[in-house]
Amino acid sequence: MRVFYRKRVKLKKNNRDQHNDAQHLKPLYSDLEQNLEMLHMLYDDCSDVVFRSFLIAGKTKAQLIYIKGMANIEEMDSNVLTPLMNNAEYSAINAKSLIEQKLSVAEVTKLESFNACIEQLSIGNPILLLENEQQGYALGLAKWEKRSIEEPTGELVVRGPREGFTETVEVNTSLLRRKIRSPQLKMKSLKLGRYTQTTIILAYIEDLANETLLEEMTQRLSRIDIDGILESGYIEELIQDHSYSPFPQVLITERPDTAVSSLLEGRVVLIIDGTPFALIAPTTFFALFQSAEDHYHNFMISTATRWLRYLFCLISLLLPSLYVAIITYHQEMVPTTLLLTMIDSREVVPFPALIEALLMEITFEGLREAGLRLPKQVGAAVSIVGALVIGQAAVDAGLVSDHMVMVVAITGIASFTVPRYNLAIPIRMLRFPIMLLAGTFGLVGIMTGLLAIMTHLSTLRSFGVPYLTPIAPMKGKDMKDTLIRAPLWKLNTRPHFTGDYNEYRQAADQKPDFDKGGEE
Amino acid sequence: MIEKGKISALQMGILMYHAILATGILFIPASVYDAAKQDIWLSPIWASPVGFLCIFIAYKLNKLYPEDTIIQYSQRILGTFLGKTLGLILLLMLVTSLSVMFWQYGEFVVSEFLPHTPKFVIIGMMILLCASAVHGGLEVVGRLAGMVFPIFFLLFLVIIVLLLPDIEIKRMLPIMENGMMPSLKGSLVLYTWFAQFGIVYFFLPFLTNREKAMKFGMLSVLVVMLTLVLTNIVVIWIFGNVTENFNAPFMSASRYISIAEFLSHLESLVMAIWIAGTFIKLCAFYYTVVLGTAEWLNLSDYRPLVLPLGLVIGVFSLKAFLNSSEAAEHFEIVSKGFMDTLVYGLAIPMLLLLAAYIRKLIVRHKGESEK
Repeated sequence: MRVFYRKRVKLKKNNRDQHNDAQHLKPLYSDLEQNLEMLHMLYDDCSDVVFRSFLIAGKTKAQLIYIKGMANIEEMDSNVLTPLMNNAEYSAINAKSLIEQKLSVAEVTKLESFNACIEQLSIGNPILLLENEQQGYALGLAKWEKRSIEEPTGELVVRGPREGFTETVEVNTSLLRRKIRSPQLKMKSLKLGRYTQTTIILAYIEDLANETLLEEMTQRLSRIDIDGILESGYIEELIQDHSYSPFPQVLITERPDTAVSSLLEGRVVLIIDGTPFALIAPTTFFALFQSAEDHYHNFMISTATRWLRYLFCLISLLLPSLYVAIITYHQEMVPTTLLLTMIDSREVVPFPALIEALLMEITFEGLREAGLRLPKQVGAAVSIVGALVIGQAAVDAGLVSDHMVMVVAITGIASFTVPRYNLAIPIRMLRFPIMLLAGTFGLVGIMTGLLAIMTHLSTLRSFGVPYLTPIAPMKGKDMKDTLIRAPLWKLNTRPHFTGDYNEYRQAADQKPDFDKGGEE
Repeated sequence: MIEKGKISALQMGILMYHAILATGILFIPASVYDAAKQDIWLSPIWASPVGFLCIFIAYKLNKLYPEDTIIQYSQRILGTFLGKTLGLILLLMLVTSLSVMFWQYGEFVVSEFLPHTPKFVIIGMMILLCASAVHGGLEVVGRLAGMVFPIFFLLFLVIIVLLLPDIEIKRMLPIMENGMMPSLKGSLVLYTWFAQFGIVYFFLPFLTNREKAMKFGMLSVLVVMLTLVLTNIVVIWIFGNVTENFNAPFMSASRYISIAEFLSHLESLVMAIWIAGTFIKLCAFYYTVVLGTAEWLNLSDYRPLVLPLGLVIGVFSLKAFLNSSEAAEHFEIVSKGFMDTLVYGLAIPMLLLLAAYIRKLIVRHKGESEK
């Protein structure tokens, strides 16, 4: 493995050398014509880039460059072109002071190299170049179409804020900042992707996030050198600890409140431009079972729902296998009356239980996948067909037994109780090898499969934090928000991650009580 | 140190609990019954001092050489040649022990539950599973032990509660009919089980909180003893004088559970959980063999040894005995004659501790005479 890494590093260096020999790192010339020539060359065949030349106060040559659809044209007209072009009386003074006095634009950045020009242009800011000036100006007039803040569809809640991240990184950071007003919320920005130059924001709270975690995260991010980053998945795959694992080692969320609660626990949040999915690291297996609203509802209800999720997670992993194992090897475990009806309904089925289960489960997975991709208009058709396939028609055709239909249906429902889609998928997929084991070895096989999964989970780490914390290794203190959801006035300490940390999150002993006064 | 991971003293205690009990809980009652009759529940109490002593000696040795396992400090105490020889003997005994355990596992699963499955498939599957855990290191084994323990213990208690309707306390009477001797004789068999606590000398250097090692080690012995007492009492309450007819009385007892016509025939479930416990036990011993071998060969990493040693152990366990009567002969010898676990668990560490003290004395004596 280590050898492999070393090779990759070497490869990376070579590529980067080739990449950086471009001439756009050069500083701007003082001659406007030369600058324009260069920019024209760089933006050759880019029909979306507009070069607009004009004269300031009818004398000084100037050039306004912007990208169509990314700049606010009305404001450019009224705040840039109009004041600059109509200033006959300022004929003699230099352009610099003209800009200071006349340009009614809030954000003006000085540009000194072509590189900076390209960067500003590509985020939508128009740039202004003047004659005999060795610097240009980027005007903060970017404006492009973006999705408004909507309810996140992937993580629905009954109670809780309804806003979700959008594709725009500025909107997402503002959503975080609106929740954490303290200046200790830090957001480091970096750009990744050779061509996409995607903005990545590394958000954390100073004094809460572990220094080594930050260092590790920055280091892992700096190792990334690919052509483009289109979604947080690219980053996730390149920074996770164990590549050969189906389990997610980074938490994904669309919800600002989930991101904020993670920040308050000392985790690090990565916001990636162009996707509403933020990454949270480190994460643990049990954090993936938490829903945002666990902390908004009554703690007893939240505890119960959490246990329901654990139970149904096990069901979605094991139920078909248990059915197969018991039908094939351990019939004595079934109560006699039930066994009789089972035999009755299995009588017409020509397959062994394992084949029957595989047939139905694969069909179900197919239906689920189809339902996900199908256009909305034909969605209804799938549900009708699906109801027939996994339903009475299949039983009547003598392909499967009644009980199998029930098992598959319950398993299907169970797999959707896992609140994270990226955890539900590996659990659903692991069901199949366990089914095979159950079909060949009965309960011994199921136990072996389960132990293999447990072993795998115990070897995993997410940014140095053992994946199964706080169950294995045991951390009694952290179980208050894992096995149960303790009342808020009991959740005094933050979960313990590697190294030292800011332990207490709130004042102790806040249980509301009559004795505490209020009424003298 | 070869092992980079660390476990807590509690995890070590739990690991040792499984290392003794996982198979013990099945086979102990019947093997003790031979000598102790209705007093089998007393035998674990008499045998437990062996466990305490093992932990104590390992702890003392660890205090003298806190960073080393037995393979390393035996060389420092006895010199390279003698130390290596002792280490080799120890490792061979451990490999034999482990192979027999795998055989026992395979035999039990095949005879009780999967009569048509070839034994090498069952054993091979388990070896692969253990290898994946051992490959993850002590940390992973410790974590797995911590996860399996609550399930294992809870199931044990649930089974006992469910068996309550069937018990007949009369069957354990008269207590100590023939004095102490029968139960003491029965405890002889248990020495071999309690002596397995000796392998703790492979785990002690890798503890995060070593000062608590003694406490949790002793606690582990105590809980093992109590579990065995409880098991034996329940077995004798249920089967009385037919106990010896069963190979694994506790498992057979679970067949008799029948509550409300619905909870019945739980033995498959019991066996599934038992497999989890046995898995931990096998992992613990497998790990000691792998780590010990790597240290004996002065390797820098033990991971490359996991699969080759697994193959060796697999072959050994398949060829260990021709049939179960030969195996019974073997168990007769190791439980009454040459008790191998007593040798590697207790005798060798005791010898080393003595030698270490003598060495210390000599060194001090020399220092004084030079003055």
